[in-house]
Amino acid sequence: MKSVRDALFDRRLLIVVGKGGVGKTTMACALGLLAAQVGKRTLLVEVDGAGRAAYLLGVQPGEIGKARPARESLSVMSLDGSAALAEYLEMVVPVKRVLQAVFSSRIYQYFVAAAPGLKELMTIGKIWYEAERIDETTGERSWDVVVVDAPATGHSMQYLGMPHAAHEVFRSGLVGRESQRLIDLLTDPERTAVNLVTTAEEMPVNETLEMYQRVREELHMPLGWLFVNRTHQTSFDEAELERVQQRLAKSHDARERAITEEVLKRAREEAGWTVINRTYLARLAREVDMPTVEVPFSFAEEFGAEQVRAIASAIEPAILGSARRGKRHGRS
Amino acid sequence: MVGLDEILRRHRVIICAGSGGVGKTTTAASVAARAALSGKRTIVMTIDPAKRLADALGVRALGNIGAAVTVDAVPGGKLSAMMLDQKGAWDEMVERHAPSPEIRDRILQNTFYRHLSESFAGSQEYMAIEQLCELHASGLYDVIVVDTPPTRHALDFLEAPQRLADFLDRKVVKWFVKPYFSAGWATMRFVNRTVGFLFRRLEDATGISALVEVSEFFTAMSGLFEGFEPRVHRVYELLRSQETAFVLVAAPDEPVLAEAEYFCRQVHDLDMQLRAVVFNRVHRELSGKGAQPADIRELMQRVVGDTGLAKRMAENFDRYEALGRGDGLRMEAFRRQLRKDVRVVEVPNFNTDVHNLEGLQAMHAYLFATAPGLPSDAAPR
Repeated sequence: MKSVRDALFDRRLLIVVGKGGVGKTTMACALGLLAAQVGKRTLLVEVDGAGRAAYLLGVQPGEIGKARPARESLSVMSLDGSAALAEYLEMVVPVKRVLQAVFSSRIYQYFVAAAPGLKELMTIGKIWYEAERIDETTGERSWDVVVVDAPATGHSMQYLGMPHAAHEVFRSGLVGRESQRLIDLLTDPERTAVNLVTTAEEMPVNETLEMYQRVREELHMPLGWLFVNRTHQTSFDEAELERVQQRLAKSHDARERAITEEVLKRAREEAGWTVINRTYLARLAREVDMPTVEVPFSFAEEFGAEQVRAIASAIEPAILGSARRGKRHGRS
Repeated sequence: MVGLDEILRRHRVIICAGSGGVGKTTTAASVAARAALSGKRTIVMTIDPAKRLADALGVRALGNIGAAVTVDAVPGGKLSAMMLDQKGAWDEMVERHAPSPEIRDRILQNTFYRHLSESFAGSQEYMAIEQLCELHASGLYDVIVVDTPPTRHALDFLEAPQRLADFLDRKVVKWFVKPYFSAGWATMRFVNRTVGFLFRRLEDATGISALVEVSEFFTAMSGLFEGFEPRVHRVYELLRSQETAFVLVAAPDEPVLAEAEYFCRQVHDLDMQLRAVVFNRVHRELSGKGAQPADIRELMQRVVGDTGLAKRMAENFDRYEALGRGDGLRMEAFRRQLRKDVRVVEVPNFNTDVHNLEGLQAMHAYLFATAPGLPSDAAPR
């Protein structure tokens, strides 16, 4: 089995986690685009999302729990626990009348809203189902790669830890046995990789380091790539900006001075961010042992499908340099 | 009075809400510092401050969780801070409300509880609100600023108490408890076909021993939250009262604003008062004095002399202008659907971490000033 650095898309389940607001959905979409680009039949699953993934891929969001084609070899699906539970019950309870009675009861609604871990477990179960699903007509797997856009860090831990908890609690029952199958998939380095997304700033990096520890030590899950999003890379050095400042002082044209001040202000802003980003990139390099890719800050007026494609291109050499080699040896 | 000063003058409880990663914690600390510096006895309840900010507030020291500490940096001891424990919220609730040590231990040692307590819905949020009610009732503070937990959705914070009440609803709890202990799950099978079918399924799914654990858990819990409903009722009363103001913190990017829009609607539907919106990490267009990108490049060439540097600086300027245009348009669209009496302020995207009193005070210039471009007819009276 090749390392994640060389063959990320040989894994069937790629989970993308990170702190809220760092760009998880964007990175998941970019990974989905790249997987599809090398010919993998890819499903992008957005957990608890509002259809943002579909938007970033340039399509309308589909029905919850249903795959919607976004482009060749790439489909997108929104997922939530209640819908996954209902779908599961429809599979195990064939009698419509019984189901109707269940779904409409108040107890069921309270139970689903509040039962600890139920929604999380059903969500992971549904992801497992899609990752292992066999297409009845072709007899092949429905998907080569399932990319999961997970909820924010704290909630991701709840999701990913749920099979372990359920297994401990419901050892002897069906739930216990099924949970073991989920754990087997999640902890298998040949089938799964957990990818971390962060920005190079204090809080997101702290959370990433914590997540990194917990994924390895508590969940025992195999790690994939670390994506450092929104890195500022245009550096102006202090000396050259100081020179501009001095020349500015000599200018007698008020308009020229005003404009230069503004341009200088932006250069200082960019230089400041670059310094902050470098500091935290260095910290990540010291403390995280994962292949890492820096994703440049996107200076777009509006962030949409075009920007996601640009990001996919930016990370392509790192991620696909190797998957391409993998492809030459033939797809699974 | 401009910006959020009006809110500090009129309200005792200020709740900073918003989705994760938008700067709620820093905003809450800054608002609290303002109140304290104006002489009000103030406390900020914070959840997970960045390490250096926590150090500055003095809340990181061991044993401080759940206890108010005085923030030395603010003169006169007017500012206190309290950090809530995110992880042990349920244990804390059980400790606090268990009628006896036996019941407490029965719950804490229950297999079902031990493995799943982290995913019980809403315990953190509920604890934060209960803590708030206590501080409010204590009369020790003129102003209480609350930083809400990092929830998936901003609204979770408001819905948590009700969800918890539903979860502990006696009728629901009874459903889990009664069958096993009064007659045994097995007899329930014969009540009717639907229930019978479900119970067989449930037994297959969970295994009998797990069901016993679950039943025991609910039995122990059912006595724990006697009087829970009235408490939840009081919580909502405080959240709805004129004393309380909600401040929504949002970053001007699309997913955050979509979420914020939903939050605004829901807050009003819940009869709570959204008083202000803080746009944080905002980029604004500079004027460029009306110059075209090509002019700027040429002008920079003249001033800077160095062609390469002039080009880089001009391009960098253009890129930031694009960000500024986008943020401006999105904030404008968002603002149009806000009620006229909601104040709007903007904080720029600082490229330094805010980690001390000076940093929090630097934010005051923005939080307590009227946002640029605020149309005069939208200015609250």
